[in-house]
Amino acid sequence: MEKKTIRNFLICGLILLMVVLFPLFNNNFIIRFGTDILMFAIMASAWNIIGGYTGYASFGNVVFFGIGGYITAILMEKAGLHFSIAYLAAGGGAALFAVLIGLPVLRLRGHYFAIATLGVAEAMKALVQNLEITEGNSGIYLPMLDLSVQGQYYFFFYMMLGTLLMTLLITYLVLNAKLGYSLIAIREDEDAANSVGINTTLSKTIAFALSGFFTGLAGSIYAYQQAFLKPEAVFTVHTTVKMIVMAVFGGMGKLFGPLIGAFGIEIISETLSNYFLVAHTLFFGTVVILAIVFTPKGLIDLITQRKFGISYFLENIRRHRI
Amino acid sequence: MLLQILVNGILKGGLYALMAIGMSLIWGVMDIINIAHGSFIMLGAFATYWLFTILGIDPFVSLVFSMALLFVLGYGVQRYLINYVIRASAFITLILAFGIEIFINNVALVSWTADVRKVKVAYGAANFSLGNWVTIPTIRLIAFLLVIVISLIFFYILNRTNLGRSIRATSQDLDAARLVGVDVANTYAITFGLGVGAAGAAGTLWSILFPISPMMGGELTLKSFVVVIIGGLGSMLGPIIGGLALGITEAFGTDWFGSTYANLISFTILVLVLIIRPKGILGGAD
Repeated sequence: MEKKTIRNFLICGLILLMVVLFPLFNNNFIIRFGTDILMFAIMASAWNIIGGYTGYASFGNVVFFGIGGYITAILMEKAGLHFSIAYLAAGGGAALFAVLIGLPVLRLRGHYFAIATLGVAEAMKALVQNLEITEGNSGIYLPMLDLSVQGQYYFFFYMMLGTLLMTLLITYLVLNAKLGYSLIAIREDEDAANSVGINTTLSKTIAFALSGFFTGLAGSIYAYQQAFLKPEAVFTVHTTVKMIVMAVFGGMGKLFGPLIGAFGIEIISETLSNYFLVAHTLFFGTVVILAIVFTPKGLIDLITQRKFGISYFLENIRRHRI
Repeated sequence: MLLQILVNGILKGGLYALMAIGMSLIWGVMDIINIAHGSFIMLGAFATYWLFTILGIDPFVSLVFSMALLFVLGYGVQRYLINYVIRASAFITLILAFGIEIFINNVALVSWTADVRKVKVAYGAANFSLGNWVTIPTIRLIAFLLVIVISLIFFYILNRTNLGRSIRATSQDLDAARLVGVDVANTYAITFGLGVGAAGAAGTLWSILFPISPMMGGELTLKSFVVVIIGGLGSMLGPIIGGLALGITEAFGTDWFGSTYANLISFTILVLVLIIRPKGILGGAD
């Protein structure tokens, strides 16, 4: 192995060790904050599969989060099933929904795909608000996890961490398989990809299903953690925006980009809300605007290019303005 | 009864059309999906509200002011912000618009709190009947007629003036337009200003007819999407057809299924139209 590869492995291992040991050295408030970061890291990484690698900017990925959560709630509360079954069913159900909706919607490109997925998510929210089995607008309760308070914090942290590692591992395997190359070919030029014999419909649908699967798992854990779901809160478009902003902020189409983004954005928003009780969302909007204007390729580009001077930012602007 | 529902749908559809005209213009010319559109509508509504509450200016008078204010704001946003990322992928401008939306909504929230307000004009409840068939709220009819006037002005600007020719040229080929001497940065800014100005007008009319609050924008953006998608891009008639279609379907849909189904109906239509006819009812075959 090259020296550089060994060094990178060591860095990754060290970071992983720090994350695994993290709950042991922190109070429950901080553990919960870490759990949130991991959840968004899962969702941003899942979004990255369809939005970053395949080039299909989904604006409705929150629908998988909501479906995962509601499947978990219904299976546990109404059917009395164990969380492990509900967890898998949540991922599977979200993936199945991604296939069903993906077949027609993935034929659309660019803005039209973005709006269609947004429409799907909003339609699903409205449907859940009206269905009886989801208990509509009044919301649905889940059974509480039967563990000590400390145990609960640990459980959800490590569930999220495990799911995140699985997401990254499978994404990594997909990227190095034929499917990964097909996805990137689709992103760069779909017609060309089609003409060299790539089954673009199948590849896109699998990517969308994977994206839905992992987002559904995150929704499942979230539902169990909250023990209560409300359509308005679970299907909010702002969750989708957060996933996308994190992926873009960290670096789209890079394996670790969404991780850096989720970490960075959550730290920034948490710090802002500590200092500015009322106006923190306002500053969050400002952060989004500045990040898009100055680092459209994400922080990971900044880190790997090692250009921290002002010229890097000016170059980005010069290239994209009119 | 059916006739009354139809009339209600048409009158509301006119307002939807006005909301969507600006979005359609910005989308069609610059390929920008202005997620912040609803927030600009909200600003127009609040401009009208404050002019009415503090200075007692009638909303139909302040319409001109809120259009002008939003035009200037829109011009600035495009010229000094969006123009800097316009050559990045279309997706980047979309996220930027989201940032702008969050920013505007929260400035409004911090300044004016989340209270729901209403412009209460003296003639708010006036209406008249046509035979014994339908009752028409006067104020909604005036709003509807104004929508038509504003649409015609837009049509005139785009098709009969030099400015309109620059806008259409830039929309077709940015570099070619620049070669023949069009100031594209300025043209883009004016286009965005016009689109956002129309949103301001929609906001004014909205504030007379419905309650307003700083967070009202999100849903209006989504409704504008539905209208633009149904009507299709690239023609002044698109938003009008789309707006009427949405207004009428919503009116009948809520009458049949109940008002909690309104959003389900709109978004199902949105997705179906996209799947079956991505370029809209008026657009060519895909």
